[in-house]
Amino acid sequence: MQLFIRPGDDLPIYRQIMRQIMDAIAGGRLTAGDQLPSHRDLSEQLVIAPLTVKKAYDELEALGYIGTQRGRGTFVAARLPRAAAAVQIAQIEEAARALVSQAYLAGMRLPKIVELIKDADREISAGPTLHDRKERNHR
Amino acid sequence: MTELLGLRDVVRGFGGGTPVLNGITLSVQREEIVGLLGRNGAGKTTLLHLAMGMLHPHAGSVRVFGLSPREHPVAVKKRIGYVAEDQVLPPAAAIGDLFALHRKLFPSWDAALERQLTDRFGLRDLRRTMRTLSKGEARQVALVCAVCHRPGLLILDEPAGGLDPAARREFLETSIQLLNREGTSIIFSSHHMGDVERLGGRVVLLDGGIIRLDAELDALREQHCVAMIPRAPGLDQAAIARLPQCLRVRTVGNAFHAVFHGQPELVQWQLRDTLGVADARCERVPLEELFVELVGGERQEKAS
Repeated sequence: MQLFIRPGDDLPIYRQIMRQIMDAIAGGRLTAGDQLPSHRDLSEQLVIAPLTVKKAYDELEALGYIGTQRGRGTFVAARLPRAAAAVQIAQIEEAARALVSQAYLAGMRLPKIVELIKDADREISAGPTLHDRKERNHR
Repeated sequence: MTELLGLRDVVRGFGGGTPVLNGITLSVQREEIVGLLGRNGAGKTTLLHLAMGMLHPHAGSVRVFGLSPREHPVAVKKRIGYVAEDQVLPPAAAIGDLFALHRKLFPSWDAALERQLTDRFGLRDLRRTMRTLSKGEARQVALVCAVCHRPGLLILDEPAGGLDPAARREFLETSIQLLNREGTSIIFSSHHMGDVERLGGRVVLLDGGIIRLDAELDALREQHCVAMIPRAPGLDQAAIARLPQCLRVRTVGNAFHAVFHGQPELVQWQLRDTLGVADARCERVPLEELFVELVGGERQEKAS
């Protein structure tokens, strides 16, 4: 899995790492039991402070997405956290309503909204390309 | 926790007027990374020179590893490494001679680390003299000299200043690897907010002779926001500055820009509730923006 870090972003770096790992799990690019690089290796690969990676890992662990096995490393959790299904569906419905409302107010039509959702699906399932990241930079 | 660097009520000036550092209290612990920010002339270099014992305070105390760098210069220097943008190594000295000198000065010199770094930096010919090196290569030699005795504290004064982006990134990579392997503490000054975000840790902002802000980088990013408030009759800078949690207000064209400690939604609500401002825009901003809002000058509207 390739991570991209942008220091000037609105999101602090540890949150960028968290989001990308959660996206990768959501899109099936990381599955239960997959090993993540150690926080020191990832810190050298991304050229960021080791404590920043550790913070991202700690938060993901607290949320239940990853787990650390002493002496073996960090892995994607065998069982991902799931809120009660009914609650989760209600939250997603609410988010969908908010998305459509915001898009209509911005003058978009339904086909455009569907197109955006497909773009997001492609990015989450296949992983962001450099092109996607650049696009976002200019948003 | 072990304090590596401690400044207590330090005052240091040059000539008359207000001292550059006018009451600084700062403590750096083991394994901390501290980024020193501030405009040109804010006193970053002065502070680092005090820590190095290159300057003495006019008032207050400086302790490095619990010792005064003035009374125990040798003991202190053995345990710190120093790289600065304006550092000059003897121009006629060959790289190899400099390394040999340091090896002799520091019993803890790590020859394997020296070889590893010179390989990485591509400093193959150790007979080359300092005057024949590029700015980037000279800085790399300085870094090797600063870290191979495995110092507990690395003091970097604008270490990547004047380097091209590739050389800067290499410098950063090396610092981070040292951090990983040796657990070295670092205090560094920089004008590159991207580098500051990469090194992370704690951020200390010097302004007007004092420490304006001392916070964890992530907390700083997530717990502060900037409100852009259009100017309106009956609304003045002082009224905004009086709001609790307001750190600074400045005028930029026909708006006030105010930095708040707090969540954007709450600040927006507070502005509406107490000052009747309905059209303020509050958002979290990147470090560079926050820096400009905290120490940037006023930009008044052109007189009409």
